Amino acid sequence: MADEAVTPAGRPVDYLAAFATGGLMTLMISFNGEMARYTTPLFSSLTAHGTGTVAAVVFLLLLRRGGTVAAGGRAPLWAYLGGICGAVTVMMSGVTVNTALALSGTLALGLVGQVLFGLAADRWGLFGMPRRMPSARDMAALGLIVAGSILIIFLGGGPE
Amino acid sequence: MILYIGLALSAGLLISLSRQINGRLSLSTSPLQASFWNHLVGFVALLAVGLAVGGLWPEGLKDAPWHAYIGGPIGVIFVAAGSWLIARIGAVSTALLVIGGQMVSGVVVDLWQGVPGALWARSLGVVLILAGMVLIQSRAKSREA
Repeated sequence: MADEAVTPAGRPVDYLAAFATGGLMTLMISFNGEMARYTTPLFSSLTAHGTGTVAAVVFLLLLRRGGTVAAGGRAPLWAYLGGICGAVTVMMSGVTVNTALALSGTLALGLVGQVLFGLAADRWGLFGMPRRMPSARDMAALGLIVAGSILIIFLGGGPE
Repeated sequence: MILYIGLALSAGLLISLSRQINGRLSLSTSPLQASFWNHLVGFVALLAVGLAVGGLWPEGLKDAPWHAYIGGPIGVIFVAAGSWLIARIGAVSTALLVIGGQMVSGVVVDLWQGVPGALWARSLGVVLILAGMVLIQSRAKSREA
């Protein structure tokens, strides 16, 4: 109870937005995959990060607002290094899709890795983020979503 | 094989780790600025690898269609959204719903493009994911009331 009170639970619309973000991921993978087919996975990721940097600058200029002060205080230096993880992920996945794991195995294990880290991150509030105890209902939802995803990845035609 | 399984798991861990780190940065700046740094730092890291390994200007580049370039700008919105959401609904919920959205939209695209696959598995998979979504957000609704 005390742990749960640490953060608000979010609004239903937040959950819907997260779901829609997954659709963006499908688009992103499809376009980046197209570039990788013409060039290499490394070059595709490099291009995506390059065009993304330019796009972010354009968005920031368009949405510029004066005098907004963020609540979180000064960011620690490591908080700027999230991009390193993304760059390393690309290389790791590039290796495993070409093994017996193939794309399905890579996706399924990646999904498990994401959820496991998420559980630990929420449980202990890792990297300065709010602590949240997953409820029994959250764990049931976790089981349903992971089961549905594994079913689609391995039997639904999925990536192969 | 154990090595590759570990590698594939770690790739997943790193996705959540980067969202956690970007989420922390967005608390001190903004989700869009966190996304900017994510892309710039990733670009510099990949450029360093590209310079070390070579092949920075691949042969096939001139044949790539225009839409092969728009994954990056979409990624900016994706990372900004993730940084914004993780502070609101937490790491597990964000990961689960993004994965769910990815799977369901993937099924829609596959059906549209006529990619073969078991219809029962696709349908059941989508139903399970949607049921999980309803369950996980009902907590939010009950709290709001």
